[in-house]
Amino acid sequence: MNAGKRNARDAALAGAAVEQSLAADHIPPASRKMLWRERIFKALLIVSLLVGMAVLAILVIDVLSDGLGTLNLSFLTSFPSAFPKNAGIESAITGSLWLMAICAFFVIPVGVAAAIYLEEFADRRRWWNRLIELNIQNLAAVPSIVYGILGLAYLVRGPLDLGRTVLAGGLTLGLLVLPVVVISSREALRAVPGSIREGAMGLGATRWQAIWYQVLPAAIPGISTGAILSLSRAIGETAPLIMVGAATFIAFNPTGLNSAFTALPLQIYNWLSSPQAEFKILAASAIIVLLMMLVAINSVAIIIRNRYEKKW
Amino acid sequence: MSPAHDDSTGTSTMDADANTPSPSHEPVHMQTPALNEHMTPKPEAAEKIFELTDVSVRYSGKLAVKDVTVGIGTKQITALIGASGCGKSTLLRCLNRMNDLIPGATVDGSVKYRGQDLYASNVDPVQVRKRIGMVFQKPNPFPKSIYDNIAFGPRVLGMNKDRNLDEIVENALTRASLWDEVKDRLDESAIGMSGGQQQRLCIARTIATNPQVILMDEPCSALDPISTSRIEDLMNELKEQFTIVVVTHNMQQAARVSDMTAYFTVEVAEDDKRYGRLVEFAETETIFTNPSDQRTEDYVTGKVG
Ligand SMILES: Nc1ncnc2c1ncn2[C@@H]1O[C@H](COP(=O)(O)OP(=O)(O)OP(=O)(O)O)[C@@H](O)[C@H]1O
Ligand SMILES: [Mg+2]
Repeated sequence: MNAGKRNARDAALAGAAVEQSLAADHIPPASRKMLWRERIFKALLIVSLLVGMAVLAILVIDVLSDGLGTLNLSFLTSFPSAFPKNAGIESAITGSLWLMAICAFFVIPVGVAAAIYLEEFADRRRWWNRLIELNIQNLAAVPSIVYGILGLAYLVRGPLDLGRTVLAGGLTLGLLVLPVVVISSREALRAVPGSIREGAMGLGATRWQAIWYQVLPAAIPGISTGAILSLSRAIGETAPLIMVGAATFIAFNPTGLNSAFTALPLQIYNWLSSPQAEFKILAASAIIVLLMMLVAINSVAIIIRNRYEKKW
Repeated sequence: MSPAHDDSTGTSTMDADANTPSPSHEPVHMQTPALNEHMTPKPEAAEKIFELTDVSVRYSGKLAVKDVTVGIGTKQITALIGASGCGKSTLLRCLNRMNDLIPGATVDGSVKYRGQDLYASNVDPVQVRKRIGMVFQKPNPFPKSIYDNIAFGPRVLGMNKDRNLDEIVENALTRASLWDEVKDRLDESAIGMSGGQQQRLCIARTIATNPQVILMDEPCSALDPISTSRIEDLMNELKEQFTIVVVTHNMQQAARVSDMTAYFTVEVAEDDKRYGRLVEFAETETIFTNPSDQRTEDYVTGKVG
């Protein structure tokens, strides 16, 4: 079947040159050279794919073999301890969940609102709007440690003076993923055809009504996919949390926005830098938990995307 | 709600809407009922609902259609015909300020709707579009249920306050002769309908907002002959109550449904700039049987275009 397609295509490509043979309805055989070129190209693609897969597989297998042994319920429901036997990650898990919730509460409304402005209202002929766009693209590429410094200077200390709280940590992560949320939300809005806006406004809806009742609902699947993926990036971040000074040894769950906190990546980092080998194994167990959380979050995104995929 | 019972004319806004402070001053933002339902359909010599004088439209300074002067009769079907690119859609979109949505589009000249300048600075385009609805070339149902597609307009216009929404939906679908086909699947997505059904849904959606005028931009170009003839029948029925302006590439359609026809052509200036001009505007019968301009005759008889 494939070969047949190729034949036909080659014939079409060669069409101009061999008009006579076509007139005689003779389809020339596939050229060997072409066939080989395509095979090599395909092989290269597969090799690149395999490299990525292999690295991931080695990583996962390594972590699983190290950490699966110590991964049990009491590990999940214990607080950190100086004794590896008693140590667990409950406060790290709850800390990460708190961070994620705060981050989401901040970044989704702000990011979506910014995207709506840029996509639906901003006049691209104005230089300041183009400048904002350019800046957002660039911000998405700023290293996360820089956001950590920003959070330390302006949220933990400085004008907001929130202290080393879970609120400061969540907001810092929010700033970190904000550009990504804005960009992905804009893409989701742009995917809604202009005819929907015209249809709504042609009925006498205001621009805002058209956006609120028609465009935004149609864009929600795309927006939530982007937002969820950004949250999964936030939950894996370590550097900015170190900068805003999350504590590394927290034997209680966050009790409120002003609570001190730790987070899974921090706990992992902390255990890995400990000299005791047992803690390194616990780090592997914590990595498994973090990976599972990431897989769960990303599957939600995939499910949403598949379920609400729109055909116009 | 019966359409043809009143003898008052376009100026009836005053007495019909007592709670509007100063009708003569207030541009188009009076309540809808004030402006509609009080028209006598008089096919010939119909009173003009639109008066366009020397209307030129530019896109970012580039002339698209130049110096159009026409009057469009109330409760008539007016067809705009002409070769591609002569500015039919452009002109149509002027009539409900849809051109405002295109950055860089400017309109010169005067577009009067029942005596009011649509482009006066104090006119709210949203209020204009409430009265002058639009059906597009490609069916563009909202990705929602059939019911919600119809209900959207009445909801945003606040019409559901004094009337039951279910009633409005049924009424609109019935008038668009779609009710029997969809009455059992109102909750299903409109995206799953056939193209012809989608287009009738879009017409129903517009009817539901009870406008004065319906603008249609090649409403049948994506449809098969059967769907097309259903929509033409529909237009003939709607004419009882609405004024319709329709762009079409289909000569037979223009001849079949319209009362008046405007023929446009592309003119090429000395500097090779191209823009649309109105060649002839007359009763459809005249345009098709006894046009006064040679270019019109060539076009409608299929010698060009
Ligand atoms: N959004 C736009 N921006 C810039 N130029 C436009 C735009 N829309 C239309 N034009 C130009 O205006 C002129 C008239 O276009 P218009 O769409 O009104 O033609 P039309 O008569 O409707 O053609 P068709 O029969 O193909 O639909 C064309 O030269 C077109 O290139
Ligand atoms: Mg057009």
